Amino acid sequence: MAEKKEARIGVFLCHCGTNIAGSINIKEVQDYARTLPGVVVSDEYQYMCSTPGQGKIVDAIKEHNLTGIVVAACSPRLHEPTFRVASKVGGINPFRFEMANIREQNSWVHMHDKEGATAKAKDAVRIAVAKASLLEDLFPKSVPVEKAAIVVGAGVAGIQASLDLANAGIPTYLVEKTPTIGGRMSQLDKTFPTLDCSQCILTPKMVDVGRNENIILKTYTEVEKVEGYIGNFEITLRKKARGVMTPEEAEAKGIVGGGCNGCGDCSGVCPVIKGNEFEFAMAPRKAIFIHHPQVVPNIYTVDFESCIKCGLCVEACGDKKAIDLEMEDSFEKIKVGTAILATGYELFPIEKKAEWGYNRFENVITGLEFERLICASGPTGGHLVRPSDGQTPKKVGFVLCAGSRDNTGIGKPYCSRFCCMYSLKHAHQIIEKIPGVKAYLFYMDIRSFGKMYEEFYYRIQDEGAKFIRGRVANILEDPKSRNLMVFAEDTLLQRPVNIELDLVVLASAVQPSPEADTVRKLFGVSKSADGWMLEAHPKLNPCGTTTAGVFLAGVCQGPKDIPDTVAQAEGAASAASIPIHVGKVELEPYFAQCMEEKCAGCGMCVNLCPYSALALVEKEGKKVMQVTEAKCKGCGTCGGFCPGGAIHMQHFTTPQIVAQIDAFLLGGEQ
Amino acid sequence: MAREKNYGNPQLENKLRDRYYYVDDTKPEFLANVEKIGRTIAHMCYQCGTCTGSCPSAPRSSYRIRLFVRRAVLGLEEEALTDPDLWLCTTCYSCTDRCPRDIAPTDIIMAMRNLAFKWDIIPRNFLQTVQLIYKSGHGVPNNDVNRAARERLGLPRDPPTTHAYPEFIPGIQKILDHYKLKENADRMLAEEGK
Repeated sequence: MAEKKEARIGVFLCHCGTNIAGSINIKEVQDYARTLPGVVVSDEYQYMCSTPGQGKIVDAIKEHNLTGIVVAACSPRLHEPTFRVASKVGGINPFRFEMANIREQNSWVHMHDKEGATAKAKDAVRIAVAKASLLEDLFPKSVPVEKAAIVVGAGVAGIQASLDLANAGIPTYLVEKTPTIGGRMSQLDKTFPTLDCSQCILTPKMVDVGRNENIILKTYTEVEKVEGYIGNFEITLRKKARGVMTPEEAEAKGIVGGGCNGCGDCSGVCPVIKGNEFEFAMAPRKAIFIHHPQVVPNIYTVDFESCIKCGLCVEACGDKKAIDLEMEDSFEKIKVGTAILATGYELFPIEKKAEWGYNRFENVITGLEFERLICASGPTGGHLVRPSDGQTPKKVGFVLCAGSRDNTGIGKPYCSRFCCMYSLKHAHQIIEKIPGVKAYLFYMDIRSFGKMYEEFYYRIQDEGAKFIRGRVANILEDPKSRNLMVFAEDTLLQRPVNIELDLVVLASAVQPSPEADTVRKLFGVSKSADGWMLEAHPKLNPCGTTTAGVFLAGVCQGPKDIPDTVAQAEGAASAASIPIHVGKVELEPYFAQCMEEKCAGCGMCVNLCPYSALALVEKEGKKVMQVTEAKCKGCGTCGGFCPGGAIHMQHFTTPQIVAQIDAFLLGGEQ
Repeated sequence: MAREKNYGNPQLENKLRDRYYYVDDTKPEFLANVEKIGRTIAHMCYQCGTCTGSCPSAPRSSYRIRLFVRRAVLGLEEEALTDPDLWLCTTCYSCTDRCPRDIAPTDIIMAMRNLAFKWDIIPRNFLQTVQLIYKSGHGVPNNDVNRAARERLGLPRDPPTTHAYPEFIPGIQKILDHYKLKENADRMLAEEGK
């Protein structure tokens, strides 16, 4: 602890243009600050964060020999680092700086009460000065960063992020819950607006993932537990029982030349038939299966929930001895420096909007089901058919905003962002494949805002798609023909319409993957009101989170199309690689410290610590608590509890907090 | 801008009348009144047409509920209240069930009917209904055809309403008198007869 010397505080007030000065009388607060004990200089400036503003702090420290700095401005989340640097440049320890938030917590919320806001600003400054008078020199602890990263989710976002990290020389664990990588994009037929075949542009990346020696691919694996902090995450992975060994795993067990080679002999003899999830159960799979021919890795998986353990597959596999029907989940601990979450999305269960008849009417399908039905590698070989009778539909309707932009509580209030464009693409695909087909798009707005998107809209309109500006009110089925009557209002014609269609495609809203919440909580990431993972800042830090070292990529952060997803994945990879390349991170020195002369060695704190940062050790014949500083987050649980008051919480000491409370309640009197 | 064109011919004047929407013609308080009476958020309408698409009246009439909501949003009071279509809503509430913005369009229509009544705008069949309720407690009183049907179904000839308990009719009359409904209905029907 630093030796006590007389406090000499400098107070600096920021106008923030009119953001603060518009509703707070800066001059009045400035004059008031001069009257506070310990304050030797009180100054103001238009923008304290600007170079001249910071210069004022640097100069004042030298001129007045200051021991503490108070800046009354915005939130410390924005500019605390700025002013700490300025304090350091001025020649004092950066932790002798204290910030008073008079913008977010004052001027912005009390915009129309100048008098009240000014009084509140005086309180905030007085409290900050009281703390600044007692601040001590602190020194951040630098810890090394593990040269490895984890990416959770292997859709196009996770694939891109892993490739970028791996190509930057960082060993990257790519963890995927399903047996193959590829995610949603591998289910799509074509991509807008270029009409590239989705598999054709994705599979090269999937193959790269399989080959890249810096990528450690963990399919059919989930994150079980996350411990540690930026630079030193210790992550426990649950490798789900796959029932099938890779060649490497087989070799490790002494089976030379064995392991799964993807030949499929096992699947051929398996007697159990289930719906293939990849094809939305529109095609069968066996209990031992691969989802589609282009899986990476090309290793079969046993679905133990439906396997009857007849053993036919084991026989068929023969000398490769790849199949182990007694396999159990196994656990592995890995150490990484940073993490990227890319857990993606699923469709909103659109049957909840009962008026559109999904699950009641066979010929009402979702956009993703349409993708499989129109895809050459799909269950129908790319021939779009009506589920009810296998006939080629001649009149197809597309229902946009199905469950999106919906404030009823059944549905999603947000725009799902890619449905307009894929519905346009769907219309193009049927016009291209089915001669004489009619495509009707029921829309409220066509949101074609990306590069070449509006041009794509023009093209589809030119190809003959009919656009009906009205949201679909309800759909009824003719029980004989299984045709669908689609009711809506053509709001431009101002007439209700009743259009008989062969097939209706619902552009269903999207929502976070079911596992996203579990993963999010493991990594300590918040979610926003709409349920998607919360970025650190919506504009200036869209890849980061409030947990240092954890980044977001793709739709898990909010609906986005493939170009935006890939862009964000590259951003997240870049952000996640920075601490790894720097090689060390500085931890804020808000550690608990044991005052050994007061510690009774009761050990209560050790069990309370949520971060396992404390331990009891033997020192000079008595038991005392010891802090592992790198693990301590400064939460204060131990300090608040300690019956002997033996724990010193750096930067939040009891005298500092009491001084703040006194300053507030006693109005500055001691 | 000149709104009168002075053709000197009323038919032509009407045919070629100015159809611009002028902000001066609007009454913002109309939206406020509709929202207050209807207890719903008319101003949140994004004009998707789910209401009209759901409406059983729209395919067989010129009634477009979406247009009424639009008129509320724009404060077009006179246009809304003088449109006879206002009275074609069956109050089935299908639009309210399905509105994605969680607005209750039916309640917007009911609010407008309330406001129209203050202007003495109300179709005569509604006034006759008031008179019937005053007299019998029923908008559609029981009749012999119904009585026979009820008998066949093993039900009492009259339902357990004011038909079976006429002693409650004075209570209903008291409510209608309180709101001057009967008085106004009688007056308007009499004026119409003149």
